[in-house]
Amino acid sequence: MLLGFEPGVYLWRIIWKIKRRGIGEGEGEGEGEGEGEGEGEGIAEMSSELDRQIEQLKRCEALKESEVKALCLKAMEILVEESNVQRVDAPVTICGDIHGQFYDMKELFKVGGDCPNTNYLFLGDFVDRGFYSVETFLLLLALKVRYPDRITLIRGNHESRQITQVYGFYDECLRKYGSVNVWRYCTDIFDYLSLSALIENKIFSVHGGLSPAISTLDQIRTIDRKQEVPHDGAMCDLLWSDPEDIVDGWGLSPRGAGFLFGGSVVSSFNHSNNIDYICRAHQLVMEGYKWMFNNQIVTVWSAPNYCYRCGNVAAILELDGNLNKQFRVFEAAPQESRGTPAKKPAPDYFL
Amino acid sequence: MELEVDKNDLKAAGAELFVDGGRRGILINGWSIETRRHSILNSSTLLKWEQKLDTSHLPEMVFGENTLILKHLSTGTKIHFNAFDALRGWKQEALPPVEVPAAAKWKFRSKPSQQVILDYDYTFTTPYCGSGTIEIDKDPNEEEISKETSDIHWEDCKDHIDLVALASKEPILFYDEVVLYEDELADNGVSLLTVKVRVMPSSWFLLLRFWLRVDGVLLRLRETRMHCVFGGSTNPIILQESCWRESTFQALSAKGHPFDSGAYGDPSFISQKLPIIMHKTQKLVISS
Repeated sequence: MLLGFEPGVYLWRIIWKIKRRGIGEGEGEGEGEGEGEGEGEGIAEMSSELDRQIEQLKRCEALKESEVKALCLKAMEILVEESNVQRVDAPVTICGDIHGQFYDMKELFKVGGDCPNTNYLFLGDFVDRGFYSVETFLLLLALKVRYPDRITLIRGNHESRQITQVYGFYDECLRKYGSVNVWRYCTDIFDYLSLSALIENKIFSVHGGLSPAISTLDQIRTIDRKQEVPHDGAMCDLLWSDPEDIVDGWGLSPRGAGFLFGGSVVSSFNHSNNIDYICRAHQLVMEGYKWMFNNQIVTVWSAPNYCYRCGNVAAILELDGNLNKQFRVFEAAPQESRGTPAKKPAPDYFL
Repeated sequence: MELEVDKNDLKAAGAELFVDGGRRGILINGWSIETRRHSILNSSTLLKWEQKLDTSHLPEMVFGENTLILKHLSTGTKIHFNAFDALRGWKQEALPPVEVPAAAKWKFRSKPSQQVILDYDYTFTTPYCGSGTIEIDKDPNEEEISKETSDIHWEDCKDHIDLVALASKEPILFYDEVVLYEDELADNGVSLLTVKVRVMPSSWFLLLRFWLRVDGVLLRLRETRMHCVFGGSTNPIILQESCWRESTFQALSAKGHPFDSGAYGDPSFISQKLPIIMHKTQKLVISS
């Protein structure tokens, strides 16, 4: 069941109210914890408040609902200005799927360096499956608001109302906040995330892959992205499709939906857009990264020990100012750094 | 999975636990029961499996070295569970693909030139209900023990596994669950093959479960249970019950059950809602 929220409408309604009355009032959601951040608040004050929130999130402590709301509103103002093909400067470190594995993302920052010292590009799938989607996404979003030019977040197929209702984020929000308001704020923000990034005009980055409806970057630029991820069409393909060895051109998944693309599709896309290679995420790779089609496309996967049981390593791709590549491979956070002791399951009298 | 076991319970049952790297297990009543748990296969091993199985597609997560092995020591009868044999079963059954709901819309999309339609069973549905051999060690003194193996023969029967006895809360001396393979169907559901075992002072019991949910389309549960009561009998008997259940989301919602996939996370809670499409009971008499 897809709850019938109009994408973005919820937050827009709030923005409209803020314009009239200021953040923290109204909506009647019974939070009772409005921070009363008025207009005329100084930039420095805002930054220090944000810094405090970032420190809190780094301890894996979620924000209050009212803080999430305010953060999402600020993030929206930044994201709405971004292009569907967001320009990113090198040096930059590219990260693949995180999936709510908060403590493993902290390992990622240990390996890659802290933001803003390191410039980051995250290729989506921040939420679902792991235990800490809320803290993971909010930390990334808070960093985005604090350092908009030092971190780029693009949308993955899990940044969607429909998918998060099945794969964990919705339930996690409900469990941690007792209501789905935080899920609504976050999924509304998902609609504003950019669809792809272009590093120094040479490396095209996207969550899933290519689309038969897209042959030039300009075609991506014309997509109206502020919506729930559609079930078909160019925007859907960018977030969902996969490269596939056994087809050369286009393949259709046996599911009857979902494109697969082969080497010749990648060659011609890279050639006509004058790019060196495509960097994407979306698929688990045991070794953390995987090149295909003669180094024309690389998959980067950044969730080590995926789902806490796969035993895979993760990787990030560091590009220096000259676009020289270095993959940094890392493992999952050790159990003792996860804050909670290893669970000892009770004997299961299964039948 | 660590499990606190009362040492007195173990002693009373004459059982002994062992741990050795990725192996854990128990020796009890002439049986050695162990699990092994490792990472998913790496890319190069996956490629070898693809060649051996003559396929270009395998589940995203193949726990190729995970296994559950139950061995009756004096007869060499070995029941075991592994992803490779299960995938061989998938390859042989080769069900036609299941279309996801979005497929209806996709039929109207403009087709790219030279589009190839893949048609393997991406759900990795398998009829697998375990592997079995009899291994006779020819020369126990040699380091590389050469083994003669022969297949074991299950016979159909009318007996049922005694669930009442199994529901009694006698201490669990050994418990483990291993995943054999798993696939997220590219975020269209889940395909999961697991086996779990519990060993009590009076018997061992296991459940092999293939669980499939294609979001908005299909639920499929194929379960095999095996139960072996320890006893005075010199010829232990293993009882095996296989039960396949299946339903479309449409049929479920027509009966008033929810339509959203979120409601079908745990197969244990919903198995009773799914109609049975196959059921059989077999037994294996282990004779020396």
